[in-house]
Amino acid sequence: MQDTQLLNEGLALMGLGMGFVFVFLTVLVIVTTLMSKAIGRFFPEPPAPAATGNRRPPAPRQDDDVMVAITAAVHRYRRRHRR
Amino acid sequence: MEKLLTLWHGSGLYNLNLGQAVMILVGLVLLYLAIRKKFEPLLLVPIGFGGILANIPEAGLALSALDQAIEVARPAVLQQLGTALGASLDPLADAETWRQTLKGLAHDGASPEALRAARDVAVGVGYGDGMLYSFYAVAIASGIAPLVIFMGVGAMTDFGPLLANPRTLFLGAAAQFGIFATLFGAVGLSALGVMDFSLNQAAAIGIIGGADGPTSIYVSSVLAPELLGAIAVAAYAYMALVPLIQPPIMKLLTSKREREITMTQLRPVSKLEKVVFPIAILLLVAFFLPDAAPLLGMFCFGNLMRECGVVERLSDTAQNALINIVTIFLGLSVGSKLMADSFLAVETLGILGLGIVAFGIGTAAGVLMAKLMNVMSKMPINPLIGAAGVSAVPMAARVANKVGLESNPHNFLLMHAMGPNVAGVIGSAVAAGVMIKYLG
Repeated sequence: MQDTQLLNEGLALMGLGMGFVFVFLTVLVIVTTLMSKAIGRFFPEPPAPAATGNRRPPAPRQDDDVMVAITAAVHRYRRRHRR
Repeated sequence: MEKLLTLWHGSGLYNLNLGQAVMILVGLVLLYLAIRKKFEPLLLVPIGFGGILANIPEAGLALSALDQAIEVARPAVLQQLGTALGASLDPLADAETWRQTLKGLAHDGASPEALRAARDVAVGVGYGDGMLYSFYAVAIASGIAPLVIFMGVGAMTDFGPLLANPRTLFLGAAAQFGIFATLFGAVGLSALGVMDFSLNQAAAIGIIGGADGPTSIYVSSVLAPELLGAIAVAAYAYMALVPLIQPPIMKLLTSKREREITMTQLRPVSKLEKVVFPIAILLLVAFFLPDAAPLLGMFCFGNLMRECGVVERLSDTAQNALINIVTIFLGLSVGSKLMADSFLAVETLGILGLGIVAFGIGTAAGVLMAKLMNVMSKMPINPLIGAAGVSAVPMAARVANKVGLESNPHNFLLMHAMGPNVAGVIGSAVAAGVMIKYLG
């Protein structure tokens, strides 16, 4: 008798708990989607190029050297591994 | 000669009993697993060492002042304790029997007033709380340590993948089925008469399936502190075993074609979304489930510190220094619960067995949910990421990625799997809140 009561309680908690977890996360999905839409609509991200434009200029001089080194390495690697 | 004899009677070897010896061995095994096998070493090294410390005979590091007095005090003091606890000690029996009677009374049956009086006697004679006992009282009994760790986890969590694809929250919800199925399993075992778990204990065992160390410790400290040692050890050991437990289940439930599904790239998420999201969760928790507020509140607080970008120093401390300090004390405190009389029981085996079942069911539920979503929605979802719905951040996501790569070497699922992974953290905290609400 007491056993069945314990089992029933366990079953109730299982149903209740799983149900609540799903309801809560469903609400969270809805809220998140709405929030993302609202933010995308009213506060769009500033266009990216402005930020990259500032950061790029100092790079090219190093980039040439680095590119040469990488190209050489890739060539050598490919030649060695193709055979 | 007499002095030599006192020295011998005070030595650990003379006082060592079988239970303590076994528990010291258990501590050494945990250390071995942590150091050689790299099983969650950050937790298992302190836990294993704490377990050894707690079982040093006569030292009483994990005992309260009262327990310590009962354990080692002179007969005169024992009589004082007896009167304080309202016990009638048989004058003909020897001190050992007195100790047994007092121990039984102190842990079961004495009124709070009598316990306080007895404690005053013990402190008055010069006994104090053991070091590990104090750590436990401050770190775990108060609930603080798991919560501070949760704050640090929040500060390390990037909600970006989840925000880019909020539907992965369903996977985190589905994987919590492991928790509740295990709870039911534990209740079933007691109904069949195999083990003896109360509903509270069953709930605390089930939460192992959430694969979330701090949540497990928090829930068991509230619902079933007597099982805390075994539950924490099981939770952390299985989290380390995620790469072994999950792949067979994942492969069993998916076909090769399903494992090869490539997912569309995630959209970029704006900073504002990331700042608003933890506040949105917090408000939802406040409205719907205040019992999950300690866990999710600290989690969201940590995440807000990370994302708002104006408190770099605080976020850095929460992620590094603070979480490390708290981990040390949390580990040692859990170790203090590895005492022979509570750990060496059939129940511990039951907890270890049910824990691994919980992990398996959680993984399976996540994968099946992902398959279901795949059928219903237009956007393709690789079922493997469902397995990441059991929290175990970031191990479960890495496992999903690895299994995916085995089927298709160009299919990187890691970022997609991080979504359900952090959803699992939220899901298990919500499940914890429901259980505490229902049973606490």
